[in-house]
Amino acid sequence: MPSRKRTTLALPAVLALSISACGVAGGSSDDTDARSTVSGEVTGEISFQTWNLKGGYEEYFTGLVDAFEAAHPGTTVKWIDQPAEGYQDKLSADAAAGSLPDVVDVGPEAAFTLAGAGMLLDLSKTDAAAQSDYLPKAWDANHFPSLGGTYAYPWYLNTGPSFFNTAVLEKCGVTGDLPTTYDALFTAGLRMATECKADASMVGRLPAIENFGSYGVPLMDSGGTTFTFNDAKGVELVNHYKELFTAGGLTEATLNELQTGEVDAFKAGQVGWLPGSSYTLKDLKETAPKVAKTVEISPQITNDKPNMYIESLAVNAKSENTATAVAFAKFATDKENQLAFSQKAAIFPSATGALDDEYFTQDDGTDETALRLESAKAVSEAIVYWPAAFSSKSVDHLREQIALAVLGKKDVQEALDEAVEYANGNLNQ
Amino acid sequence: MSLALTPRPLTGRGAGAGRTHDRWWAPWLFLAPALAIVITFILFPFVNTLALSVTDATLLRQGHFIGLDNFTRLAADERFRIAMTNSLLYVVCVVPVMVVAPLVLAALVNGSTRILGFFRTAYYLPVIMSSVVVGLIWTNLLDQRGLVNELLRWLNLVDEPIGFLSDRWLTLFSAMLVTIWSGLGYYMVIYLAAMANIDQDLYDAASMDGAGPIRRFLHVTAPGVRSTSALIGLFSSVAAFRVFGEVYVLTGGTGGLGGQNVTVTMLIQQEGTGLQAETGYAGAISVVMFVVLGLLLAGQLWYQNRGARS
Repeated sequence: MPSRKRTTLALPAVLALSISACGVAGGSSDDTDARSTVSGEVTGEISFQTWNLKGGYEEYFTGLVDAFEAAHPGTTVKWIDQPAEGYQDKLSADAAAGSLPDVVDVGPEAAFTLAGAGMLLDLSKTDAAAQSDYLPKAWDANHFPSLGGTYAYPWYLNTGPSFFNTAVLEKCGVTGDLPTTYDALFTAGLRMATECKADASMVGRLPAIENFGSYGVPLMDSGGTTFTFNDAKGVELVNHYKELFTAGGLTEATLNELQTGEVDAFKAGQVGWLPGSSYTLKDLKETAPKVAKTVEISPQITNDKPNMYIESLAVNAKSENTATAVAFAKFATDKENQLAFSQKAAIFPSATGALDDEYFTQDDGTDETALRLESAKAVSEAIVYWPAAFSSKSVDHLREQIALAVLGKKDVQEALDEAVEYANGNLNQ
Repeated sequence: MSLALTPRPLTGRGAGAGRTHDRWWAPWLFLAPALAIVITFILFPFVNTLALSVTDATLLRQGHFIGLDNFTRLAADERFRIAMTNSLLYVVCVVPVMVVAPLVLAALVNGSTRILGFFRTAYYLPVIMSSVVVGLIWTNLLDQRGLVNELLRWLNLVDEPIGFLSDRWLTLFSAMLVTIWSGLGYYMVIYLAAMANIDQDLYDAASMDGAGPIRRFLHVTAPGVRSTSALIGLFSSVAAFRVFGEVYVLTGGTGGLGGQNVTVTMLIQQEGTGLQAETGYAGAISVVMFVVLGLLLAGQLWYQNRGARS
């Protein structure tokens, strides 16, 4: 469908949502085959959209763009950075309007939806050889069996160890070794509940889909067509949270908390455990220095492999300069540029061999380096548990169902069955 | 030159009729900007929403006609039932307070002394604050570890913190409290304007008959602003049924524990935004919301007209 027509159709969507309280409009159909082979000269202008990276990394991205333009005369890269808040909404609006940037920073779940609508280039058709340039699990994160393709170049990875507020733990009777498994975490959480009740708790948020994965729950069937986290193991995990809540080790407010609320509660000394990232220590030192002084870093809580998050660069299947867009996406995600970026930001590269760099292997005795080395080790073992097909709507629905189950308003099995049914329903969209 | 500047005579049947005929479009010219805005931003989205509500459209896929399937699905949707209950409850609880409380406030601050001016300003202050700021202030006050709970615990009035923002009903009533708190000043000002139009002789006559302040309020002020009360009833009904900001902020955008505090507008937002938006389904919720609001307003107008006739 021509982009002008899509824009026309999308206009009422934007207008209806923003102007009229009762106006919600639809998108467009898309019949174009996104799986064409990339050909043509690397030239012309492309747009490159990142997610909240301008503040702090402007110099890096300006340099990246300049280097690409110098290496490919005749190209222009227009860098657009979107704020963290509402990034998905921005992607949605662009996608509906047919104005998705040529190269766009996406997580696997956004890539899955966009790919399903035929908006992203299928790299398994156009650039299958690129697979060897990236860590296999990073490449696989954007391979969607139900769609039969791979839809983005892996970019940066993030994982993180556990952060424990030892002052809170000691106050609430938890001493000795810090928990590294879920069983140890819940045992310590129950002890805190008896000692501290509402003053402080071990856990600051309900489990998300990735926690089910790291607990050992199979999330999807092998074909990636059905969710399976409502099995006995999944019920067992939710029952742990229910037990914790009954004992007073989880407040009602916690049942409604998002990740930002969990971090805030940890900074306020109300929560003992924070599953953090490599960025957390820096953040704590800047915004909660008293808590940072009492924090101890421990391996990520898991019954299996650690969890990892990934950001990738996808190429718009309708780009007018596809060859340039592909060239830039590969340039930005090559080993050299990923290494340079990881030395500026608290992230980890996904390019093959980049984690072997001495930056991730040599200890200089500082806390920050110790944390980086610990996290890099975790990255090499970690798994992207969050299935790409598990949409943000399913994330919200799962949290709501678990909250009802933990409160005792719904049977745990029934709640998980409903969450699975809802997630499966969203698979077909 | 001078002839060219001489105005043409306006007398004569032919001249007059011709001018009227030639300028039939003049009123439309004045109306055009407003019409363009109304058609573009109200009529078109509205018609588009109606059309969408009978399709299975998503944000990324143009829908196909599915008849009334979305409405059938709505009837069985537990979240929609919860949202409709919450929104209707909001109307039932908030509107009477919004009609009466600002009138009482207006009567109390209706005067010209400096101290009354201070109170008028103080009551109006929440109106000029954004709903997000208001929500954040009240979130910090009502949180489980917030100021109100800390105070109650310090005074030994409670052992466990009260779940103002976690219990289903308490959260809803907290949101209503915030709506009322932030809307009182606005309606108070409307009442003050209406009260300025009440004939002072009526107050003087009532005083001569021995009526005290309460009787003067009940028998002169309240009847004198009856039409304003009806208008405020209409305004606040629409606002209460469409509540979004207060509940959204107080529940951290989640719709409350287990989604139990979601309102109709929040449900539209949840279903109609994001990459997985089901715009057809969200359109159907919007249409139902429109119909319910229409019925609500029609009922109020009928009641108001019946009162005026009697």
